[in-house]
Amino acid sequence: MSMQCLVLLHDNKPAYFVDKWYRSIKLSPPRIRSTAGKGDGTMRDLSRLFYPRAIAVVGASDSMFKWGSYIFTNLLAAGFKGEVYPVTLTRDSVYGRKAYKSLMDIPGEVDLVFNTTPANKVMNVLRDCSAKGVRNIVMITSGFSETGEEGKRLEEEMVAYAHAHEMNIVGPNTMGMVNTACSIYATGSLVKPVRGGISIVAQSGNVGNQVMEWAEQQNIGIGKFVGSGNEGVLMCEDYLEYLSEDDDTNVILMYLEGIDNGRRFMEIAKRTTMKKPVIALKAGRTVGGARAAASHTGAMAGTYATYASALKQSGVILTTAPTQMLTLSAAFDALPLPRGNRVGVVTLGGGWGVITADECEEQGLALPPLPDDVFAKLDSMLPPFWSKGNPVDLVGQPDPVLFSESLRLMVSSDAFDAVIILGVIGATKFVVRVNQMVLDLGYGSQQEVDGLSAVFRKKQFDFLDTIIGFMEQYEKPIYPVALVTSPEDKMLYSRNGGKYKVAVYKTPEEAVFCLAHQYEYSRYLRQRS
Amino acid sequence: MKELLKNAVGKGQKALSEYDSARVIASAGVAVTKYMLAKTRDQAVSFAREMGFPVVLKGCSDKVTHKTEMGMVKLKLKSDQEVAAAYDELTGKGVILDGVLVQEWIEGDKREFVIGLTRDPQFGPCVMFGLGGIFTEVLKDVSFRVAPLTELDAAEMIEEIRTRKMLDEFRGSPAVERAALVKALIGIGNLGLEYDEIREIDINPMVINGDKPVAVDALVILNSK
Repeated sequence: MSMQCLVLLHDNKPAYFVDKWYRSIKLSPPRIRSTAGKGDGTMRDLSRLFYPRAIAVVGASDSMFKWGSYIFTNLLAAGFKGEVYPVTLTRDSVYGRKAYKSLMDIPGEVDLVFNTTPANKVMNVLRDCSAKGVRNIVMITSGFSETGEEGKRLEEEMVAYAHAHEMNIVGPNTMGMVNTACSIYATGSLVKPVRGGISIVAQSGNVGNQVMEWAEQQNIGIGKFVGSGNEGVLMCEDYLEYLSEDDDTNVILMYLEGIDNGRRFMEIAKRTTMKKPVIALKAGRTVGGARAAASHTGAMAGTYATYASALKQSGVILTTAPTQMLTLSAAFDALPLPRGNRVGVVTLGGGWGVITADECEEQGLALPPLPDDVFAKLDSMLPPFWSKGNPVDLVGQPDPVLFSESLRLMVSSDAFDAVIILGVIGATKFVVRVNQMVLDLGYGSQQEVDGLSAVFRKKQFDFLDTIIGFMEQYEKPIYPVALVTSPEDKMLYSRNGGKYKVAVYKTPEEAVFCLAHQYEYSRYLRQRS
Repeated sequence: MKELLKNAVGKGQKALSEYDSARVIASAGVAVTKYMLAKTRDQAVSFAREMGFPVVLKGCSDKVTHKTEMGMVKLKLKSDQEVAAAYDELTGKGVILDGVLVQEWIEGDKREFVIGLTRDPQFGPCVMFGLGGIFTEVLKDVSFRVAPLTELDAAEMIEEIRTRKMLDEFRGSPAVERAALVKALIGIGNLGLEYDEIREIDINPMVINGDKPVAVDALVILNSK
């Protein structure tokens, strides 16, 4: 029974081979990189790449819309503590800083060079780096293997030189890097997320930047970001290996289009995921997507089914949308891992509870019945018409004390590994809106509404504190879902010195999505340790 | 096995005959139906008697990779006469054969699975498991793992298919012995790692005999020189 077929382009050239297992395989051979000496199992020392003491920007410029300006101003504006030297042949100073004609003219030591000069000048810059003793280069420059034969030749020359001189090169054709721990924000855009434990490796700079942009809006802390570009020298798994040992990184997030050495990647990923969660989005799920990916970085995008299996086999958590990836990373960074799949649900309203229960069941989570002791205590505390089961339906009683006490009973019970609580967060806004309407009708006073608003805001923050306290006390994750949200709401709340943070979810499905993946990861770890 | 594979590649074969394919997968710990290669009509009849009726006869050659389409499969033969007639028909098609494969007929319980091996340009040998038989094509219910597989990997990939409930007790049939599937999947992965000569393996179907998965057809595709 023959199921193989060829997919032809309009000019009748074969574009894809569909094998008998229905995976499309691109017909061009996998790209061969000149990677002598790589993948020998030795871990690369990237510490001075991410934690440089002094930086030079070669090709620095004060023309506002040039890369040589973006990188330079970004470094200065973010407050990097070490020296930042501009290097350019055409100017004596850049944005008021003394410029140097060459790296060799710089008086002090340089740990890291950002290069923005054109591709045909790159070999000169590398020779200067070598003479100056610079081992780490972020090669912003494009025009290499992604552009054709000549570019490919240039890249091979560059890669060979880098290997011979033991240089770490990010890129080429990269958007740059970020390390919030030492205030390095050196990318083509001005995103400035707060410092945190989520580090990003992206085979597309703009995806990485977008994720950081959302992180900034949501108050989600980022550790490091690197756009891996063409991966001439440093491959995505080299960054993964470094980040697995990096104390400033708790969660690793990867945007992947293609992996050159799948088996090496898996080895490193398997080791890494035993230490910290790795969340990945592998683009190119469809034939069209795979084609776009292949032309983007020049990497051969293998078949999605194999990638998905290989990532899963290595303990990597696979997502399909960049927003999901960030939401999940935030949960992993903020919350303790659930030890099992038994979920307790506390809800302000019945329908919400049912929806949550459905979501849980569909994602492999269980809602066990209430144990007798929990039932008895809830029954003595709640109005007689409460749900008398899990989900615990507080039947519209917006009393934070009832919520806190119900939450404590559920989270402290051995019957549950995690609790989803729907509805105290955002109740403030609900109450204030009710009062505002009354005010609009000419009753009450603005002062009264403001006062009420302040009281409820405090209650809400107290409740968030309560959640953090319970998570620390019982080492179980709690997932609050907001009753009402507004655009300015942040996803993450922390308190000083707290071990955990609260992530507030906009919808029950988002909360269940995070819980289900955290459970899956916790099970993966348990089975393998 | 190395010898067998090297010789076949050396001779320019693109695939192994079903007889040799069965030997290769059996060496990896996959349960295969009883099979014998008959060179004469009398031999075919005596093998059939030895195995017990009914039996299956298949024309056997590395050139015959689409047996059904070529009319090279005779199912459920119940007597000496049927076996003899089938033998003559298969050998009279003008195709040069290594012989005629005599196989024990397994009734099975309609549950059919597929196990396969493929080579990925980035990840190397990968093992596939899924729903087999005539619906493989339509339902595409398969899962993959990169070799080598741990027992846990194999157990997880079995649970990953949508029709996994067919592995449990199913319409009066007992639950499939998962340990045998796990062993087969690990073994097939190891074949891929051990022998560069093997490009792909296709075991379809694995039928379920009682609670035991048994390969009734196998094809090993070679990396031609």
